[in-house]
Amino acid sequence: MSRALRYLLLVLSLVAALAPVYWMFTISLKSEVDQFASPPAWFGFTPTLEHYYDAFVTRSFGEYLITSAVVAVGSTLCALVLGTFAAYALARFRLPYDLDRRVSLWILSTRMFPAIVTAVPLFLMMRDLRLLNTKAALIIVYTAFNLPFVVWMMRGFFDEVPRDLEEAALVDGDSRMGALFRVVLPLVAPGLAATAVFCLIVSWNEFLFALVLTQTDASMTLPVGIAGRVTQYEIKWGVMSAAGAVAIVPILVFAMAMQKYLVRGLSMGAVKG
Amino acid sequence: MSIKFKNVTKSFGDTCVVDDLSLEIDDGEFVVLLGPSGCGKTTTLRMLAGLETVTGGDIFIGDERINDVPTQHRDLAMVFQSYALYPHMTIAENIAYPLRVRKLDKDERARRVKDVAAMLEIESLLDRKPRQLSGGERQRVALARAIVREPRAYLMDEPLSNLDARLRVQMRGELKRLQHQLGTTTIYVTHDQAEAMTLASRVAVMKRGRLQQFDTALNIYNHPANRFVAEFVGSPSMNFVDGKIDGGVFICESIRIPVARENTDQITIGIRPEHIRVFNEPQNETIAATVYVTELMGNETFVFLSVGKNRLIARAPAEFRADVESPVWLGIVADKAHFFDTQTGLSI
Amino acid sequence: MPKSRRSSNAGSKRGARAQTLLPYLLIAPAVAVLLALSIYPLIYSVSVSLQIGDGWGIGNFARLFSDNFFLTAMAHTFVFAVAALTCEFLLGLGLALLLNSQIRGRGLFRATLLVPMMLPPVVAGVVWRLLLNPNFGAINGTLKQIGIDTESLTWTASPRLAMLSVIVVDVWQWTPFVFLVLLAGLQAIPQEPYEAALIDGSSRWQTFRHVTLPLLKPAILIVLLLRTMDLLRVFDQIFILTEGGPGFATETISLYIYRTAFRFFDFGYAAAMSFVLLALTNLISIFYIRFLKHESRA
Repeated sequence: MSRALRYLLLVLSLVAALAPVYWMFTISLKSEVDQFASPPAWFGFTPTLEHYYDAFVTRSFGEYLITSAVVAVGSTLCALVLGTFAAYALARFRLPYDLDRRVSLWILSTRMFPAIVTAVPLFLMMRDLRLLNTKAALIIVYTAFNLPFVVWMMRGFFDEVPRDLEEAALVDGDSRMGALFRVVLPLVAPGLAATAVFCLIVSWNEFLFALVLTQTDASMTLPVGIAGRVTQYEIKWGVMSAAGAVAIVPILVFAMAMQKYLVRGLSMGAVKG
Repeated sequence: MSIKFKNVTKSFGDTCVVDDLSLEIDDGEFVVLLGPSGCGKTTTLRMLAGLETVTGGDIFIGDERINDVPTQHRDLAMVFQSYALYPHMTIAENIAYPLRVRKLDKDERARRVKDVAAMLEIESLLDRKPRQLSGGERQRVALARAIVREPRAYLMDEPLSNLDARLRVQMRGELKRLQHQLGTTTIYVTHDQAEAMTLASRVAVMKRGRLQQFDTALNIYNHPANRFVAEFVGSPSMNFVDGKIDGGVFICESIRIPVARENTDQITIGIRPEHIRVFNEPQNETIAATVYVTELMGNETFVFLSVGKNRLIARAPAEFRADVESPVWLGIVADKAHFFDTQTGLSI
Repeated sequence: MPKSRRSSNAGSKRGARAQTLLPYLLIAPAVAVLLALSIYPLIYSVSVSLQIGDGWGIGNFARLFSDNFFLTAMAHTFVFAVAALTCEFLLGLGLALLLNSQIRGRGLFRATLLVPMMLPPVVAGVVWRLLLNPNFGAINGTLKQIGIDTESLTWTASPRLAMLSVIVVDVWQWTPFVFLVLLAGLQAIPQEPYEAALIDGSSRWQTFRHVTLPLLKPAILIVLLLRTMDLLRVFDQIFILTEGGPGFATETISLYIYRTAFRFFDFGYAAAMSFVLLALTNLISIFYIRFLKHESRA
């Protein structure tokens, strides 16, 4: 395959990937008149920020944004703490009855549940606990959602640290936990960061559980807010696009930062990217 | 501090890796655990360090039984085969780590690190990271980290095996001097019998988890307890010939060696290469042999010989020459010969 | 330097016991959270699914066989999954094979390709609703420009084209995923087998069949497994694009369960259906994993 053709293919795929997103950005910046223009204008139009203003100041998208952020950060922190400790124990200790391998597999299997299967009972449970329409409910649920992933990823990273180092730390007089904090964690820091970013992205994007568990302005996340606008009669495309555009920005930033670990995370460690 | 192993056993599942080991090590001794891979020497060391649990028996440091004492409280220092330096810390931080963990204050830590670095001549490396150092330098850092806290004993797991041959010989000497200077009990694991011979005050030879012999290096060399020890220690290794003794003469095919022993039908004789003299001409009471090959070492010559179905190795002076397949004559220093029971391998 | 020193025996017995407990203490919180939020809801769901009318019974499960909507939703899900998977796999594999060489700016390229699959699926839905809008969407606009009559091309509002639209969106979003994983798999294959094949005189197709494919199998299987799982439980983007419509045209099983539970408030029936879905995905993943294990042993 000649190089020119190869590069052409590359460029085409990039365009195919980005063009639709770019289109949404243009809609968010076009006045209503421009939006309905025919033929569709990809470049030559005067941008306006009225939709952004409308979405985030007049309407509640600002609130949704903050809710999304709070929930994402909260659940990521919880999942990281719980999951990293568990991953360390599973990576380092040989438990009786092959427990470490079995627990690992069990944890991974919970990731395979279709969301709707647990969404229905969780709705009923949260309703009974009076936790519907709260950020807390989402943080709790997203933590459980992210845990298997954290355990799986971090276990892989821990496996890459030679046991020698912890043994040396123990013989030097450190406690097991001290060795974990002083010797092992600094060495898996990049992996920890990558895992954190994945969790943030997953929590940020999540839709079904948020849809089921939160219906009020005070507790809705950004995806739910956007969806709400769609299912109404009068669809304000500009507002929706503006909200969508803002929803994407953190993703773009993180994608740039974490693309090195991406393939490994996406394939659950099966393929080293 | 003295160290004692009393009937110590270690099994992984059904596999017994260390079998009823009993050893008493005096304070200040340099003891080497010697044996082929898989003999249980590293496992023994790790049990002492607390990195493996003890399946049976007791381990004592001084008067204290330490089976249940967690690793971090045993106050032993260990030098790993891979050195196990902390990659994200500087050399100074690496050495200071045991002190930091014991909560010594910053100034005291810095002082001790400097002293130890001076002793091992690594002061110029203190600000670097482990990946910037050569193998020999890393090894000295590992030593420094062990020394800096003045532990009850040093444990060393084949620390020289990752160095190239020349450096290994050099470090051997430095280790010995260091231990002499510090006077701390040291237990050293290796499969290299030359290291054992040069470093140890006493050597414990192990095979398949069992202790074969525990004695000074010289005694092990001159009075091996069984055939395994005799064969393992000494390079090139001892020659063994199976035969019988009749009328005060050891007989095997054309080999005749006068020995002051009773007649037996079956016995194995062991002769070290340096106790076989090789002559180009027949002499009084010599045995005919054929040269298989010679190896010129520079300072001496190894002569590989065949006598009937037996293969022997002899050490000859540097000037000795003989062609392949040429006939030579051997003189055996009979009073230096060792005898082993052909079935059990025990020395008799 | 002093020769020897007494050691501290403080808390050694207690220390030893704490050591053996430590791994369990570290794992317990994570396991507890998962038990409470992943396993317990399933058990709860069982009891919910067995409640019918005012009492108990398996009526909800019996209803499944005669419910046309349920069966249609299942059919839609399969059609969607098979179509999307095929396209994503072929496109992704093709691209991976064609672009398997040193590309400059690889990091940037990878990051850009990430964008479609990192989008919140809801936003992907929005993006494509905008593109597919019959009146001002770029697709119809461009088609009109080159002279195609777009009167009947109402995409997400058209019973004929809605399923196609939904499939296209998923393919757009997830082909990069397949591409990236397969590319990584390809680049992990060492050079030697290729060189040996060349020397042995193998043609390009033969090399592909006998060298590339077998060595790529683990990556392929993982990608197929993960995508299949995701496709069977699809919800987000269809919800935004068509809400299952027009009518029932794009209603997949997850959407139907959602509607049953949260529009009709028939939780029992919804629970019963979700178990069927769970059983299905379990079966398929077991099948895949067994295949994977078998392959990796070979």
